[in-house]
Amino acid sequence: MPSATLLGQALISGVLAGGMYGLLGLGLSLSWGLLRLVNLSHFALAFLAAYLTYELGTNYHVAPWWSAAMVVPAMFAIGLLQHWLFDKFRVNELASLLITFSFAIILEVAIQLYWTADYRRFETHYSTLSIKAGPFYIPVLELVLCTVAGVLAWGTWLWLRRTYVGKALRAAAEDADIAAAYGVDHKKLAYLLSGLGAAYAGVAGTFIALIATLAPAQIWTWLGVVFAVVIIGRLGNPLGALFAGFLIGASESLAMAVFSPAWAPVVSFSVLIAILLWNPEWA
Amino acid sequence: MQHRTGVWRRRRVLTGLAGAGFAMAVGAPAIVRAVPSGKPVRVGGTLSLTGFLAQTAVIHKIAAEMMVEDINSRNGFLGRPVEYVLLDDQSKPDVARSLYEKLITVDKVDLIQGPYATAPILAAMGVAQRYGKVMIQSSMGIPKLQTYDMAFPATPFGPEPDKTYPNVLLDMMASFPTPPKTIVVLTSKFPSAQFMAQGMREQSEKRGVKVLLYLEYESGNRDFGAIAARVKEANADFLWVGSLGLESNQLLESLRKLDYTPKNHFHLYPAPGPLALSPDGDKALCSTFLEPDEPFMSRPGMKKFAAQYTERATKANLPYTIIDAQACGMISEWQILEAGVNGAKSLDDKAIAAWLKKNPVDTVYGTVRFDGPFNHGTALQLVKQVQNKAWKVVWPKEFAAPGVKLIAS
Amino acid sequence: MGVSATQSLPRLAAAGAIVLFALLPAAGLPAFYDSFLYLVFFWISLATSWALLSGFAGYFSLGHAAFFGVGTYTTATLTTQLGMNFLPTVPIAAAMAALLGVGIGAVVFRMKRLRGELFALLTLAVTFVVATIILNTPIDGGAGVFMSAVPLPHILPTATGTIYMLGFIMCVLTLGIAWSVVHSRLGMGLFAIHDDEDVAEAKGVPTFRYKLAAFGLSAGIAGAVGGIHAMYVGFLTVAGTFELSVPLYVVLMSVLGGARHWLGPAVGATFITALLYAFISGGEAMVGRAIVGLILIVAILWLPEGVLPAIKQWLKRRRRLARPETRAAVVPVVPPAAQPIKDRSLLEVRGVTKRFGGLQALDGVDLDVRASEILGLVGPNGSGKTTLINAISGFYPLTSGSIRIDGVEIGQTPAHEIARRGVARTYQIPRPFANMSVLDNVSLCATFGGPARSRAEIRDEAMHWIVFTGLDGKEEALPAGLNLHERKFLELARALAARPKLLLLDEVLSGLNPAEIDNAIRLVRAIRAQGATIVFVEHLMRAVVELSDRVAVLNEGKLFALGAPREVMRDPRVVSIYLGKAYAA
Repeated sequence: MPSATLLGQALISGVLAGGMYGLLGLGLSLSWGLLRLVNLSHFALAFLAAYLTYELGTNYHVAPWWSAAMVVPAMFAIGLLQHWLFDKFRVNELASLLITFSFAIILEVAIQLYWTADYRRFETHYSTLSIKAGPFYIPVLELVLCTVAGVLAWGTWLWLRRTYVGKALRAAAEDADIAAAYGVDHKKLAYLLSGLGAAYAGVAGTFIALIATLAPAQIWTWLGVVFAVVIIGRLGNPLGALFAGFLIGASESLAMAVFSPAWAPVVSFSVLIAILLWNPEWA
Repeated sequence: MQHRTGVWRRRRVLTGLAGAGFAMAVGAPAIVRAVPSGKPVRVGGTLSLTGFLAQTAVIHKIAAEMMVEDINSRNGFLGRPVEYVLLDDQSKPDVARSLYEKLITVDKVDLIQGPYATAPILAAMGVAQRYGKVMIQSSMGIPKLQTYDMAFPATPFGPEPDKTYPNVLLDMMASFPTPPKTIVVLTSKFPSAQFMAQGMREQSEKRGVKVLLYLEYESGNRDFGAIAARVKEANADFLWVGSLGLESNQLLESLRKLDYTPKNHFHLYPAPGPLALSPDGDKALCSTFLEPDEPFMSRPGMKKFAAQYTERATKANLPYTIIDAQACGMISEWQILEAGVNGAKSLDDKAIAAWLKKNPVDTVYGTVRFDGPFNHGTALQLVKQVQNKAWKVVWPKEFAAPGVKLIAS
Repeated sequence: MGVSATQSLPRLAAAGAIVLFALLPAAGLPAFYDSFLYLVFFWISLATSWALLSGFAGYFSLGHAAFFGVGTYTTATLTTQLGMNFLPTVPIAAAMAALLGVGIGAVVFRMKRLRGELFALLTLAVTFVVATIILNTPIDGGAGVFMSAVPLPHILPTATGTIYMLGFIMCVLTLGIAWSVVHSRLGMGLFAIHDDEDVAEAKGVPTFRYKLAAFGLSAGIAGAVGGIHAMYVGFLTVAGTFELSVPLYVVLMSVLGGARHWLGPAVGATFITALLYAFISGGEAMVGRAIVGLILIVAILWLPEGVLPAIKQWLKRRRRLARPETRAAVVPVVPPAAQPIKDRSLLEVRGVTKRFGGLQALDGVDLDVRASEILGLVGPNGSGKTTLINAISGFYPLTSGSIRIDGVEIGQTPAHEIARRGVARTYQIPRPFANMSVLDNVSLCATFGGPARSRAEIRDEAMHWIVFTGLDGKEEALPAGLNLHERKFLELARALAARPKLLLLDEVLSGLNPAEIDNAIRLVRAIRAQGATIVFVEHLMRAVVELSDRVAVLNEGKLFALGAPREVMRDPRVVSIYLGKAYAA
């Protein structure tokens, strides 16, 4: 039986690692839940942002928070552009999945053409800092990530809730005419939301650059688990996505601490299956 | 070297299939061509230029192009220039199989070269076997899978690396000032890594080194926090990691976040650049076959290859431009093929295979033989270590660069 | 050109293509073409099998790699670990995958909410779970499975020829299955499920069984394809087999070609496979991949329904220009004299209660409807009229009580069984199957609701009711091309085509103008004259009084009043609940 220290440490690492799932899930959950658009290129955008952060940091010595100030608005603009395409062609849920899949392939190639397929690492002196708390260690960068993710998720949640924007968008997803009755210009809001989703991918990308090592094919490694996270967190619910991220991160990590680590991927997907079967109304 | 461009590259082979009435377009390969005399000898092969194996394909491509030029700057193959016909297998074995069939039956290449990584190699090997082609491959870490008698390894793993190489490591460990008594074996569930990890566990136990923890994690594992916590808790004298790509970096960073530095740590097949340059990579041990140092630099051609490789890798915008065992695998592949052709004085596959089985070949890896089981010869797998952010061969001692010593704690 | 010639031409072409491809290995083409075509066949089979469930019935799955992978590893395990011959493992691979599919379906299809993205995600999750299990058990264990020692059967002299032939046979089988599904009751039912599952069930389609059948077929084919592909690949790894790009490409291919057509996925698969092979040379591989992505985006944006449907549309338009539509003559409907009302009760409702959480929608309703009677069902909004219709037609299971048709209890019977017992209904807001023509809409209801008949008879029956409801000339139109009035009549035609004993009409008159209402009233009379028993919910009092033999008034889920129309309507209690107390006083 593993010791309490090991379990506690695994729990801390897992929750913090889950923050990344939540952060990546945030934008995906918004566009999926409120606009009925499944954006597979979300991950590719996050990696594009990560590569840009790497490029600015390594070759021009720009600190990541400054590069984020450039990269995140750029991602916002890409989000608007994508939405323009979806809007112009009245793209439905299924088509959005396939179009963004193709778009992700193009982004993957673009990244490979410029940065090659070889690994890129943005070395910083603070990437492995951690705080000691009793017998446990709390990695600083992940803590910052979770804080940022928390602020974004909570802020978005408040915005959606307090201003009835969320209800209007949800109604628009069902029936655009009824939505007009809310007196909200849902078209403009949809653009704003698509932009925000991509901007959140940009934020996630900044942290990916700091925490992970980059390779073009890694775009696809997050897809499964983040999909599970946005469904478990209920589509269109930013706080839900974040907490689901924590939940999945923690349970994967505990599974790795107790069982053979190779079984860990079963955890998140079993949780997803269990929740859907237990309560199909969940998502 | 010059790439054929324009019309040549756009050439399409159109095959009309009358009844069904559809035509498929198959792109003509990019052709590397040298200053010729006579009809070129065409050598075909695939690399995973796109997809999840693409990191290493660039390295192999650069090395192969270098070698074709090198061979053409001498005699070519039997006085004829060599043309390298390179296709992209998209990191998929089923595509690799069909492309080798294309190279052999449509493009009608004279000879073939192996692709990279176990699954594409085995897919290509099946094709080579059906058409009786010699196939030299550089990177299949499980020799017993090489069941075709005209397939030859360019990298000297030896027939049973899961037995021999762990003992090289255990010998090294025994030479430490305080020999490790306990070990943690971690491995990616990637066939070749897992194969070696299981060997390491067995051999360690045989030689009285206690295996405190044996863990397998999914290849492409994202979060190493919990695994690191288990490694820290086990706190063994030696950490053995069957890693690929970046997994070692991820693990070491996770350990650092727990304020834990493993006493001695070994990594199987990590990406060399990121590990050498990482602040956590210091004193990391790793498997290798050679590094650009003495005594290896004295091997014929090696100085030139090392310089050329760095120049081209820089031009290709690669982050790590020092020649490594990966690139040398491809160099060795071509050296063996060249020796086979020259030795047999023929482009006939059977003749080349027969010659290779009987004769040793001098490669950048030293003298390699193909007279053992699975056409493998002597095992020459060595140990290197990160010292001052560069890889240095440290074990066995006779291969260590002058003045370089194994640093153990 | 005669009719028989136009019909036999595609068959001849299909037979010709089969013979041609079967003989192709003998043509002595380089082996690469065997392999390339094998891969085309492979993707055609996978994409087509995906479409059987996901394209036809609209249950969009991202889990096709799971079934394919289960098949692959079944063959791998049986041949390498148990020493079986390769060929017999293929049907076992199919069976294992089908079992997994049916198993998932048996759980998931009982939950109405698990459609759309949730179903897609669920199947994706199953893929990851299956992959992890195979990776961590001796089935693979992480070492991979090397198939080189497994002998390939000698179907043709060369290995590539044999693989080609296996892939080809699988492909022909798959397309044959897809074709016969499309042209069967199963296919018709699946298309209806795609458009509106609840309505399909109410029209007599056994939706649960059909979905299971489609899932089993779809997964089974994928499993067999996987079994064959294990031999082609030669060295299997979990990561390579359960790759995410497998389901994504399968979906892309199907949608691009047209997922609702039996041949659509084949067109998409051929196109995309050829496209991926167009850029294989070392120099252009990367840019080629981007070009593939770009072409796919453009294709999906411009042809959202798929290539094949777009071509069909175009051909149809051309043909329509070429020759004017000719229609079969239809016998005009002459309403006979009204049938007398019988003493026998056709419908017996006893103590029916329906609760939704805390809401008591029906509270102990007793009601008898006699054969050949027209019963008007009225009451204020929320009084339970539509709930009662839903309960009788089986949309909701009862909380308590009993409902009998011709003395047979149907209170807990699934809706499609009730439909087959002769109960048909219309919807207040018409719910036609959006992707089916008017004729197909009506034919489906005749097929699943009425007695068993030949295809031609069903067509005649459907045309009869189309003419009866005045929709003639619109039979090829899609519901979107009808106005509200026509859609209401389409609802009627669909209900009538089932030749119901009991017809439940839910506000057929709402939203119509006075002339259309008169028309509709005439129709209802004509229906009644043919002997059907009718229960109709209506707000329009004029119609209620004109049509009903008796009127039942529901209030707050209870039967409030029952009797002759004029008497009930004059009852002050009824007036008060309808118009409020002040009005009555």
